[in-house]
Amino acid sequence: MTEFNWAPEELQEIVDNNKLVLFMKGTPEEPQCGFSNRAATVLQQLGQPFVSINILSDHRAIPSVCAWSDFPTMPQIFVHGELIGGSDIALEMYESGDLQQMLVDGESE
Amino acid sequence: MVTEQWMVEEVRKVVLDAKVEASDLHGSGDHFHVRVISESYEGVRPLQRQRPILNHFKPFIAQNIVHALDLKCMTPEQAGDSGDTAFDPHGEEVEFFGVHIRRPDKE
Repeated sequence: MTEFNWAPEELQEIVDNNKLVLFMKGTPEEPQCGFSNRAATVLQQLGQPFVSINILSDHRAIPSVCAWSDFPTMPQIFVHGELIGGSDIALEMYESGDLQQMLVDGESE
Repeated sequence: MVTEQWMVEEVRKVVLDAKVEASDLHGSGDHFHVRVISESYEGVRPLQRQRPILNHFKPFIAQNIVHALDLKCMTPEQAGDSGDTAFDPHGEEVEFFGVHIRRPDKE
């Protein structure tokens, strides 16, 4: 396996190849921040596998991901390659059903 | 550290017509829950509502002057339906208001 350098093309490949991606502080099992915990909890409710990336695992991660996505805070949630936002938006979209709908819509494309 | 009033004023620089409420979650001047209510959010997606505010706060977030910013951007209609939903990421009792917390490994 080649080294992962948090380059824009590497990050893009992750979100293009996985329908649900969560960049978070810690892991869903051991979140290191309340917002990341909230985001992981919301995604777990969807009952679908998702990829989570611990951005505390490498000091290059936060600046690289934030510059690439043009979003200043963690966590960040991507659905079918598109940034939806942080944990506040994920929860809002889950409660309104928009998040579930976005997952279904992406399947048929 | 900054104040709730400062947060409100900074948000109003970005969303001119907004009604803004800021809560300093710990009294530490760096963890904020901010409700922004504006007619201009009608028909605008959640991320696009937040972007201009987040861009404005980017330097303050980068310098860790603002450590946590939980934004709720609503239309007046949505604000009417919404209860008090302040979320404290470092609170003792983590509440997910409406979301049942499922931990498969603990079931």
